[in-house]
Amino acid sequence: MTRTISTLAAALLMSTAAYAADPGVSDTEIKIGDVNIMTGPAAFVGKGVALGSKIAAAEINAAGGVNGRKITVITEDDGYIPARSFQALTKLIEVDGIFALNGTSGTANVLAMMPLITENNLPTVVTTAPAELVYKPVRPTVFTFGAKYADAFYAQLKHISSKPESKDAVYGLIRQDDDFGKEIEAGYERAVKDFGLKDGIRLRFKKGTSNFSAEIAQMKQAGVTVIVNGGIFAGAANILAEARKLDMNIQSAGVWSEGIPASAALSAPAGYDFMVADYVALTGESTDKFKEMAKKYVTEEELAGISRYTYVTYIGLKTLAHAMGECGQELTRACTVEKLKALKDFDTGGLSAPVSFDNDNQLSGTAVAVYQYDTKTGAFQERTGFEQY
Amino acid sequence: MRTAHFKERTGQLVALSDSKVVWGWAVAAVAALLLLPFVIGNYQLTLMVSALIAVIGAVGLNMLTGTTGLISLGQAGFLAVGAYTNGILLADYGMPVWISLPAGGLVAGMISIVVGIPSLRLKGLYLAITTLAFSFIINHVILYAEGLTHGPNGLFVNGAQLFGIDLQKGKPLYYLALGLTILVIFGALNLSRTRIGRAWMAISDHDIAARVMGVDLVRYKLLAFFMSSFVVGIAGGLLSLQIRFINIDVFALILSIEALAIIILGGLGSIAGAVLGAIFLSFLPEAIRLFFETFGDPQSTLYTSYVYEIRGIAYGVVIVLFLRFKPDGLIGVWRDARKYWSNWPLAY
Repeated sequence: MTRTISTLAAALLMSTAAYAADPGVSDTEIKIGDVNIMTGPAAFVGKGVALGSKIAAAEINAAGGVNGRKITVITEDDGYIPARSFQALTKLIEVDGIFALNGTSGTANVLAMMPLITENNLPTVVTTAPAELVYKPVRPTVFTFGAKYADAFYAQLKHISSKPESKDAVYGLIRQDDDFGKEIEAGYERAVKDFGLKDGIRLRFKKGTSNFSAEIAQMKQAGVTVIVNGGIFAGAANILAEARKLDMNIQSAGVWSEGIPASAALSAPAGYDFMVADYVALTGESTDKFKEMAKKYVTEEELAGISRYTYVTYIGLKTLAHAMGECGQELTRACTVEKLKALKDFDTGGLSAPVSFDNDNQLSGTAVAVYQYDTKTGAFQERTGFEQY
Repeated sequence: MRTAHFKERTGQLVALSDSKVVWGWAVAAVAALLLLPFVIGNYQLTLMVSALIAVIGAVGLNMLTGTTGLISLGQAGFLAVGAYTNGILLADYGMPVWISLPAGGLVAGMISIVVGIPSLRLKGLYLAITTLAFSFIINHVILYAEGLTHGPNGLFVNGAQLFGIDLQKGKPLYYLALGLTILVIFGALNLSRTRIGRAWMAISDHDIAARVMGVDLVRYKLLAFFMSSFVVGIAGGLLSLQIRFINIDVFALILSIEALAIIILGGLGSIAGAVLGAIFLSFLPEAIRLFFETFGDPQSTLYTSYVYEIRGIAYGVVIVLFLRFKPDGLIGVWRDARKYWSNWPLAY
């Protein structure tokens, strides 16, 4: 009898030891945090991101969860303001007691959260801010999914220069005057050097600028035929609209944020078949399959809001769940980090290149594919598959 | 029951308070704030630190806009100057925090004198636009002076230690913020009782009349800019210690608007109002969140899909309703309540 009681007590202690050590895990549940842009002008990005976590969690839970534990995603809004990201993550850690973090908002936001992530050894998958500042220096618990903006533009320029619409193509860069813009310029610089492109003009603008009439007039003056468009959302659309106003015959390479339906709809009226490069698929069998699967878990309205941001966070949570699943019943943050570090060729169903974090920077998804918007059909066409640049 | 009474000496008129009860409450409030970290969690402590930083910033802005009547939309810029000075001295030059933090205030104060010079000729909206332009200039300087500010990459602010205590962690940071808040409030209250404070109020009422009465407009307006920005710079330094990473996104224009909203909501020109406004606006989003978590129906599609928009609208509606029905701000509510209880049971 005494032996039975001792065995039971030991079993009970063993089963609860992991939960006592790391918050956010119970016998039935794993809490995953998501700090996201749910309000403000960029809220549609955050909503797409939150949707990705929601769909991934619903799919995993419908399949029995992670070793029987259901995933609960807790989303906190940061309004794209770094100080609020810090507060939101503090709440998720201290009040909600999350086990790991999947949504991490923008680059400055994730950097503002970084001290908290490091101090709490929080397994974190960054999917929406694959900037070098995030993965260099490498933080042991942080895993980044996504390509460099530099590579995305290099890929597009390689494609454009291999099939130029004009013999004397002149390239022009317009980019934001911040870290994001600098990355774009790095890709442009590399392409100019590697492919011997004629660099017509380089212009900078302040984040939030909406009127580009002077800049585009300068581009026309410089004889630009290929615009390297570093604007985002309405900014990118305004740049193309200005070019149309000046009757410019151009090709355009853009940021992957222009691959979402809302942005494409803004840019479409200018009538250019603009390009984007992305580390997740924008079209094809994989996205069709994903939407079909998502129908089971989201409303019609949410289904219409699915975008590349949904895919990236979906992939983020799937990789996290895979690593947690590998840990078995003894789920700890340390084990999850170890399994994420060992992740190799994780299949995302064609939504991206296979994910591997077993490298020095704990960085994956660096391969990009080039897409071109077809103004006639209102849809993206794949121009290249996922390639490393 | 207290009733109105006459003051016979100037000293009585300018005393912070002649009521032992008020002093008793003030001491009790400070004691409660000192004990607070032992009864609340880390998240609530983080919110308290944010609120204390907002209080310091609001009291600083109140000196300029509330007391002196000079509207500024450049507070985000001064906050950034304070934060960057503190961050650079601390992280890049390894200076101790007791030098870097005041230096943040000092640099912000000195820069404000440059901005303040146009204020000698400008008023109202024109001055507001000038200070707003300053904010843009600061953003550009931060972005382009990469060698000093790390440009768009931002800056991690680490290493604030005093006697081996990490001042960027929960309780130490709270006590640092609390100590500075008390200092700033008492400093501002005392300043308002001096010749400087009275000169600022005279300028606010009518600057030409103030000049006729012998108030040196150049000196006192610039002093208002310097003192206000010094305090806001300190708030910026504290903010950088709290979030430990700064870049230009942290100091968005909306911060300047929020700072104005705080002092208007609290009651323009009143230090107590600035304090109440900062606390109110700092905790309002949290109160709304708790309200919806308690009374919202998580099963409702409307609630789950639009909870963030609903919260945002509720935040705006509360402010609009408050200003519509209580234009004197929170300090007006406080005065009404005090009057009611002072005259009770004969209150009307």
